[in-house]
Amino acid sequence: MIAMTHAGYVAAGWLVTFGLVGAYALAIVRRGRRLSRHVPVEERRWS
Amino acid sequence: MWRDATLVAGRDLRVEARSRVTAHQVVPFALLVLVLFAFALDPDRGILERATPGLYWMTVLFSALAALARSAALEEADGVRDAVRLSALEPAGVFAGKALAVAVELVALEVVLGAAVVVLYGAEPAGIGLLAATAAAATVAVASAGTLYAALVSGLRARETLLPLLLLPVLAPVLIGATRAFESALADDPVAGWPWCGLLAAFAFVYSVAGALAYGTLLEGT
Amino acid sequence: MNATTPTGPAGGPPLPPGSGPHGPGRPPSHPGPAGTGSGATRVLGVAALAGVALLALYGLVVSPPDVEMGDSVRLMYVHVPAASYLYLGCVVTTVASALWLRRRTPGWDALAEAGAEVGLLFAVITLVTGSLWGRPTWGTYWTWDARLTSTAVLTALLVGYLALRRLDLDPDARSARAAVLGLLLLPNVVIVNRSVEWWRSLHQRSTLVRLDPTIGGDMLVALMVGFVAIGLIFAWLLVHRFRLAWLEQQADRLDLDAALAARRAEATAARAAPPAPGPSSPAPVASPPVPEVPSR
Repeated sequence: MIAMTHAGYVAAGWLVTFGLVGAYALAIVRRGRRLSRHVPVEERRWS
Repeated sequence: MWRDATLVAGRDLRVEARSRVTAHQVVPFALLVLVLFAFALDPDRGILERATPGLYWMTVLFSALAALARSAALEEADGVRDAVRLSALEPAGVFAGKALAVAVELVALEVVLGAAVVVLYGAEPAGIGLLAATAAAATVAVASAGTLYAALVSGLRARETLLPLLLLPVLAPVLIGATRAFESALADDPVAGWPWCGLLAAFAFVYSVAGALAYGTLLEGT
Repeated sequence: MNATTPTGPAGGPPLPPGSGPHGPGRPPSHPGPAGTGSGATRVLGVAALAGVALLALYGLVVSPPDVEMGDSVRLMYVHVPAASYLYLGCVVTTVASALWLRRRTPGWDALAEAGAEVGLLFAVITLVTGSLWGRPTWGTYWTWDARLTSTAVLTALLVGYLALRRLDLDPDARSARAAVLGLLLLPNVVIVNRSVEWWRSLHQRSTLVRLDPTIGGDMLVALMVGFVAIGLIFAWLLVHRFRLAWLEQQADRLDLDAALAARRAEATAARAAPPAPGPSSPAPVASPPVPEVPSR
């Protein structure tokens, strides 16, 4: 990892990728938690 | 189905003949866009001439959006939607009729725009056969895909903004193909243009079939 | 993901209603296993995290820099899998739309939505990493390369599809329109890709660095790890997004039921009121329980 050429671009690309994935995952999990309070258990077939 | 199609197309064209919305609003708008392009691209440096096919088809596409919105609006007013659903008209026929009417209007628009391009941009028409075939295929492509997508957004409050967003990416291949074919026709090199014309024809075919099959589903839901 | 869940049979078949500790009652607020997670998705999530760690190890440390591209090749380990799963998302949407049109069951509608939204996320990732790779390699963030251009058009298609889905519309009508649009998604993608590729190949043969040279050794391993790790992420996101869409459908339906019940109660209360025009206004709660059968 020493003296990577284009280190900035690589770091930016990886950070954007996993940052976006993480943010999106967090968003859907939170929305799911909020919504599942309004839906009875038997309609949530996976739990 | 074809009888239904001619019925619907006749109705749409009669409405247009009496209201003259396309003739009095869409065509002037298209001509205005051509003039605006000349302002944006300096006409003295030859950019305009080189870009003529692209500008022509861009103008057609944007004007087609207006014509399609008008065509879909006919369907929404005065409970026409329910009437069409109650009538025994085949959905495929209704689709073909509406697309046909739009195509007729677009052909008229293209003729006017073609004349305007010759006058304003100094384009030298060449390769008439390729030009005509390309225009025909592209017109059917735009009319069929446009009628289908206009039906997808009809009745929605956001339809004016949603139709361009949905339709323009889909029509990107039409813009590419028609522009390339026109370029090669104007450059007197029709051999390079015919494959693009074939692409347009294939596109037109795919969307005519898709629209005829899907229109019933779109009519049944509100 | 949610530690409160009593670890049931991991990813097992749907439990019969009321088998949980919460009973089959329908209070307005439903406690119980919250969220869209389940045993199976927790396993999937852990595997995805492990995959990402392994990808970072292989992609950033073990694999050597490319002879031509240098270290910017490390972006490819993310970019290429993301682009592939973007197309998988489109396939999911189109297939689910077709199945909805056949079966008309809400699950397919939810799956179509999930595929498109996760696909859009991967489209954005593909575009960003592609641009960041292009800047050092081609000297520019954007070039009218066939793949880049068609990915941009595909992103626009997905945005349009999701915009249609987001509109306030009768649920059945929205499902039908979205299904037609989703069914057209994959054909559109194919047409756009073909025509754009054809268009570009006329102008420039191969001024661009070809990415396809044979790669081998650690670089190939890193790319494979990328496919597995990003694939696990894709699956995790797809499952959760699908369940979220399912929850939204159920919540909409329950809201509708509740609204209908409220109106019905209002109506019965109003009908019960006239005989007693006393000072007390007919409060729905106070009115005697009217049996539902006789009237109407």
